[in-house]
Amino acid sequence: MIGVLGAILIIVAGTLIGFQQAARFAERPKQLRQLSHALQRLETEIGYGHTPLPEALERTASATPPPISPILRSAAEGVWRAEGPTFQESWSAAVKLHWRDTAMKAAEMGVLIRLGTTLGISDKEDQMKHLRLALSQLKAEEESARDDQARYEKMWKSLGVLLAVLIVILMV
Amino acid sequence: MLAQVSHLLPLELKRLLEGLPADIKGQLEEIRIRENRPLEIAYGGNSRFITADSGILQDAEGAVKPTAEQCRKLLERITNYSLYAMEEELRRGYITVSGGHRIGLAGRTILDGGIVRGIRDIGGFNIRIAREVIGASVHLLPKLLDRTRQSIGSTLILAPPQQGKTTLIRDLARAISYGAWTGMTGMKWRGRKVGIVDERSEIAACVRGIPTFDIGPRTDVMDACPKAEGIMMLLRSMSPEVLVVDEVGRPEDADAIREASHAGVAIIATAHAYDLQDAKGRPELNKLIQDGTFAQIVELKRTKEGVMHRVVRLGNSPNTPSVGSETGEQSMLSFVSRQRDEP
Repeated sequence: MIGVLGAILIIVAGTLIGFQQAARFAERPKQLRQLSHALQRLETEIGYGHTPLPEALERTASATPPPISPILRSAAEGVWRAEGPTFQESWSAAVKLHWRDTAMKAAEMGVLIRLGTTLGISDKEDQMKHLRLALSQLKAEEESARDDQARYEKMWKSLGVLLAVLIVILMV
Repeated sequence: MLAQVSHLLPLELKRLLEGLPADIKGQLEEIRIRENRPLEIAYGGNSRFITADSGILQDAEGAVKPTAEQCRKLLERITNYSLYAMEEELRRGYITVSGGHRIGLAGRTILDGGIVRGIRDIGGFNIRIAREVIGASVHLLPKLLDRTRQSIGSTLILAPPQQGKTTLIRDLARAISYGAWTGMTGMKWRGRKVGIVDERSEIAACVRGIPTFDIGPRTDVMDACPKAEGIMMLLRSMSPEVLVVDEVGRPEDADAIREASHAGVAIIATAHAYDLQDAKGRPELNKLIQDGTFAQIVELKRTKEGVMHRVVRLGNSPNTPSVGSETGEQSMLSFVSRQRDEP
């Protein structure tokens, strides 16, 4: 009786883990898309609106869903901290702090951190160039994320169940 | 005075300058920050270098040197982390921040067809602390009135640089706008509509179009606008009764001023010149003085006791009827409160 209960628990757990992994593969391209939209909006604010950077980030954040928006918001708020960080420091800290809440990987993080070293400290054309570079890199990541999704999402869904069943069989 | 700009400074420099003696902080006029070169301040007519423990030196030897990172932080703070929004300011070479303080920038310029389009690699900053002297014109304004029109007569203010011209016309604009025609008994004149063409953002120190100095409730400012165009724009759009412009001298400025004065607007203008004789040596100014655009000339001199002024009435003005105007040169010396010219 207890053995059967244990076996059911293992199968349920395995299925859930599989689905969770699959969900991460489904979330990543979606969040990359949202991030691209946010950067496009930022590009408009900077290039056409001449909006000061903290305000531009706030506005972009309010038009972006979480988990992307907290990154932008805390980067904007970080510059007012008492120790007077540079924008780059505030931006990297914000990216690192909120990265765990996203399904994105180290490659995208690298793109964002690199973008942070240039934001706000050059003229308009230069800013637009850097934002476009980041956008094209994110697009490449998004494509590979979609490939991964097609390849691994279904696999993880069944893999979880199958592994759980394997463990149960081995235990019996 | 330091407190007004300290929020712009990176933490290390802020701490350093806040450690200075209180009397120096109170008189502070300029903070000069150059990357990897000695930190310099100017106060009360002196300039000194600062050591790492807030000491003061005559010579540059042993002074603290702001690092590249501190300069980057400073630049980020004065541009509100948005250098791209400051293209116009970078083309002019300075940024005006809230409170009218002006930060001069030096570095490598970017050229576009031979014209400076901006500055990059900024390595030198000069933070000039602005001082607003409310009441600087109290003694002068009653002498400049045009009684028939119940307003001020057209006035040209002459002085060399750093004598308080800008401070004076800012206070004149404020007083006229408020209707504070002081010193006269039983005078109930209203305030006048004032238009300021502020080509160098010195008079009103606008930040994003909003004046940061008190220039009165009935004053409109055309900020960072070429004088001649600004005068015509204000004439067409804002129907000013008094126009205030700083540092005229080019032929197109003179034409616009003539145009405005024929439109019945009183002009208050300043020009760089030592005195009336000197001004007559400049062809455009001389023409303006000769053809009676101005009812009176004011000469300013900065002395140890303060700023002295002398009013010279010009009798040949068609714009000021005979009442109250005298022919020839009449000199009046009087004392205006101690002041200095803002950056």
